[in-house]
Amino acid sequence: KIEKPKSIKCGTFGATSLQQRYLATGDFGGNLNIWNLEAPEIPVYSVKGHKEIINSIDGVGGLGIGEGAPEIVTGSRDGTVKVWDPRQKETPVANMEPVQGESKRDCWTVAFGNAYNQEERVVCAGYDNGDIKLFDLKTMSLRWETNIKNGVCSVEFDRKDVNMNKLVATSLEGKFHVFDMRTQHPTKGFASVSEKAQKSTIWQVRPLPQNRDIFMTSGGAGSLHLWKYEYPAQRSKKDSEGAEMGVAGSVSLLQNVTLSTQPISSLDWSPDKKGLCVCGAFDQTVRVLIVTKLNKV
Amino acid sequence: GTTKTYQIPISHLDYKFIEKCRDVKHLEKILRVLRSGEEGCYPELTLCCEKRIEHLDPMSKALRKDKPAATASDFTAEEWEAINGELMVRWLTEMNEGDKKPQFPRTDTLCERQDNLPPIRCSSSCLPANQNKKLQNKETNKKNIPRDYSEWDKFDVEKECYKIDEGCEENNSKARFNRPSLPVIEKKIDTTGMTKKDKIFIATREKEKGNEAFATGDYVEAVTYYARSISVIPTAAAYNNKAQAEIKLKDWDSALQDCEKVLDMEPGNIKALMRRASVHNQLQNYQAAIEDLSEILHVEPENAIAKRNLLEIERKLKGLKPVSETQGKGKRILIQEIGDSEGDEEREEDTQERGGSKAEDRETQKQKESTESRLKKGTSEKKPQKKLSDHEGSQSADSGSSLPPIAAKLKSEGNELFKSGQFGEAVLKYSEAIEYVISLGEQSPADLSILYSNRAACYLKEGSCSDCIQDCNRALELQPFSLKPLLRRAMANESMERYRQAYVDYKTILQIDSSIQAANDSVNRITKTLIDQDGPSWRDKLPPIPVVPVAAQLHRWDGGNFTSENRPRSEEAEEKFKTLKNEGNDFVKKGKYEEAVKKYSECMKLNTKECAIYTNRALCYLKLYKYEEAKQDCDHVLQIEDSNIKAFYRRALAYKGLQNYQASIDDFNRVLLIDPDVLEARKELEEVTQLLNLDSSAVAGSQQKQRKKITIQEVTESDEWEERQFSTSEDIAADHVTSKEAVQGSVPPKTLEKLRFSEPDNAYDFGQIINAVNANKDKAACADLLTMIDPKQLPVLLSNKLEGEIFLIFIQSLEYYVVGKDPGLVYQHLFYLSKAERFKVVLALLSKNEKEHVQQLFDLLAEKRNHQYSSGDLKSLRKVYEL
Repeated sequence: KIEKPKSIKCGTFGATSLQQRYLATGDFGGNLNIWNLEAPEIPVYSVKGHKEIINSIDGVGGLGIGEGAPEIVTGSRDGTVKVWDPRQKETPVANMEPVQGESKRDCWTVAFGNAYNQEERVVCAGYDNGDIKLFDLKTMSLRWETNIKNGVCSVEFDRKDVNMNKLVATSLEGKFHVFDMRTQHPTKGFASVSEKAQKSTIWQVRPLPQNRDIFMTSGGAGSLHLWKYEYPAQRSKKDSEGAEMGVAGSVSLLQNVTLSTQPISSLDWSPDKKGLCVCGAFDQTVRVLIVTKLNKV
Repeated sequence: GTTKTYQIPISHLDYKFIEKCRDVKHLEKILRVLRSGEEGCYPELTLCCEKRIEHLDPMSKALRKDKPAATASDFTAEEWEAINGELMVRWLTEMNEGDKKPQFPRTDTLCERQDNLPPIRCSSSCLPANQNKKLQNKETNKKNIPRDYSEWDKFDVEKECYKIDEGCEENNSKARFNRPSLPVIEKKIDTTGMTKKDKIFIATREKEKGNEAFATGDYVEAVTYYARSISVIPTAAAYNNKAQAEIKLKDWDSALQDCEKVLDMEPGNIKALMRRASVHNQLQNYQAAIEDLSEILHVEPENAIAKRNLLEIERKLKGLKPVSETQGKGKRILIQEIGDSEGDEEREEDTQERGGSKAEDRETQKQKESTESRLKKGTSEKKPQKKLSDHEGSQSADSGSSLPPIAAKLKSEGNELFKSGQFGEAVLKYSEAIEYVISLGEQSPADLSILYSNRAACYLKEGSCSDCIQDCNRALELQPFSLKPLLRRAMANESMERYRQAYVDYKTILQIDSSIQAANDSVNRITKTLIDQDGPSWRDKLPPIPVVPVAAQLHRWDGGNFTSENRPRSEEAEEKFKTLKNEGNDFVKKGKYEEAVKKYSECMKLNTKECAIYTNRALCYLKLYKYEEAKQDCDHVLQIEDSNIKAFYRRALAYKGLQNYQASIDDFNRVLLIDPDVLEARKELEEVTQLLNLDSSAVAGSQQKQRKKITIQEVTESDEWEERQFSTSEDIAADHVTSKEAVQGSVPPKTLEKLRFSEPDNAYDFGQIINAVNANKDKAACADLLTMIDPKQLPVLLSNKLEGEIFLIFIQSLEYYVVGKDPGLVYQHLFYLSKAERFKVVLALLSKNEKEHVQQLFDLLAEKRNHQYSSGDLKSLRKVYEL
């Protein structure tokens, strides 16, 4: 146990190898640090990345997840989303920020996706005003944006390392949206289906690492919901002008459970053991759960 | 009265009403009122309402209730035991063991991996978060305003047509951007520096990805992911799933190969047999399909699907028999070959593999479960001793006769155990049997050899490779050059990474029987590894490969072929013919058409009557653009068989290549006459007719020539597609080549992409292009860019991004590409470049070498006088550049 001067907000192992297991953290001061947990006194990488708190962090390229360079993305209250390569000190390798004059929105969540070969990679960011933006890191452009009307608490691709398949975005008001990311219509963007899970905020969503169509949401009322996405018979169709557009499937609730009276703010699955998951709640408890019979779904 | 919320009449809160109500929405409202308790608490009524809703709409959201987490008390003792034991005991110990194992030496692996990483993303890239609005603006700029009359006068038809063409292309490229037709995913994963644990992790992960892709119907993607999984660790499950996906893609040949790989690893794998049977069925290889299905039925006599399929195929076979007399012969040999390459029919193994069940169709899963449950129920119910087909029979027959009864019993018990996957116990049985036989004195080396060989198989399954090798050695001492122990020893050696020994064994096997697919594949694989390991002189380090006496080969064929005594000579020639043909087909698959042609030509020496060889060779010639030869081969075939559709089709293509369009059209018409459903032929026909028209109109501009060349390429590709339609048992379609080509085709070459930039109209676009140009030091592209833009715009476009590197590449591209053509433009550029922001700074930081470049450019400018600038202008500019 070590104490650091600044409170830590978020962390990820996503950008290091299976053997190395360095932890990347973002703190309340806007610093991005990478720690070797076996010698945690001094960070192996440290940068003052943002002016304000880093709300969210995600990594890709490590742990055998995703091809290509190890990269970390951070989203901050200062409205910027920055991509970092641990091999490059000081400056981010990509910086997504609002142009001057435009109001800065609080970025609440970031996620990597589409890392199926060495070049392709996208970053998805969710903002407090309900904006979801998808940045393509290969072409360095904004590929898509939408608004889901309520603050975006968590976005997550069903898998980071396949050709973009699905994106789940959860909102402040208890709704979540599942986007089919295979087919992008020139004007309509991606098809989506939304579902209301509960009356309170959905803090986080995590797809099951062993099956991308199953995901769990953690909610403000201390509950967990397990969902399954079912694909439509045809995932895309032609619109009147002949452009391909996606068709959304449906979402069904498999199971739900209430663990606490306080919000469950974070959640993750075990990559090794199917169904084993851990969640942390505002009642200062970390709970470990096992979901059984996932094989039969 | 009504309720407070929703204003439902109170009378609706009644059993009778609820029982009859069909409106789910209404019922949900009632339920909410009841639950809230504002009209009083009626637990029974609430329950009734819930039941009614569940009856009408089981998925209703109103039924969702908060539930506490399940704990031990919620389960029966057995269930809890199962969950807890699985998790706490088995998985925890597994993980702990994994953690305790010494980690791979870190520094090495890290260095190695760093090398493989792609470069750091090009820095200082900053993108505004609201870019697409501007993009939309750009699109709306292109308005369609009606022209006024004066404009019509200037109307240039050619130009407008060109514009329309361009527009089409633009749209196409847009579509491509939106939906890349095939994502380029590496087929192999670089595993250097990975520990075994990492590999297992990644292999299962890739397999899971494959399963998911399969579940969504993306079979191409699924195949890729399975291939990736296999490239890390080859497992039977991954091959099996890949085969299934390939069946879905109708890629029969690859599916066949994969099934065979599974059967090499796990002889008797039911799923693989089932799939191979269906592939054979599709390839109209009915005899082989029947063979496989009956093998399944030996193990699982009540497998309903197998039975049904068997009946179906037998019916088909009866219907077809008179037609495919000649083909039947070839086919029968194929079956035997497969049987041999499996090499291990003595036992059947149960499919215990659990992974990848997602991708399996329900039916096979059910049937698997039934097997398992049967096994669990107790193996007391003795399975009928398997009657073994073909050459296997001889072995078991003579073993039955000469083994002492006790040893025979032990052996069969061992076989049973092996079948049910209990390898450890099987080893014990075999050991007992061996001891018993030895104690009797060595009467029958053959039997003892088989026992050793079986025990070796158990060891191999268990993973104790050194024991396996020992047993194989003993078996080989007793019975030199017998296939199975050799194969097993090779596998064991390979998994112990003793590649040289494995190589020698595989080579020996191939000397005995060159048609064993597994050995062929392994030899190729090992050769690659050895070259990586030892460099080009890897052969020197090999131990000598023993020469197999002809007797052993002959012996094998005698044993292997129950009919061989009747017609040994023709059999032998036919066998050789077959291997040659197979080799040829393999070459075709690999895209080595010249080698394939050689093999086929050798085939022809042995048998001049087999049409398939000629049509295959014609295909190769077509690929090699040797149209004349292709035509001759087709002609030959058509002399023998005047309605061979494939020959007609290929001759048509050859004629097309020879630009003899009329003849080509005739042949295509003949193809369509025989089978009007051949779409490819129809398409080709249209194309050729067009070409003919073009030719006759005789406008042979250079552009057209180019166009022609492209169509020819298309022909060769679509030809391969045609293969799929035609492919029968004797022909191998080059399917995976096609897909590879398709992948390559869909990705435009990089250089092209780079040159295709349009005129940038803002600093951001310009910066992007400059970054790309700079990253590749592509001076030609840079020169294009500079000629494209207006020099006056340069300072604006550059904004504050001018850097030493960019400056240099500007100077160089101007020097190399532009100054010769348009010195005036160069002067303008230099002039406006000096007005750009940061110019002074960059200039101050130039090295001596770089300054020389600038100097040279000015000298060149001075030489090429131009009216756009005077020597005075040049001089003052020199000053600005501090020369």
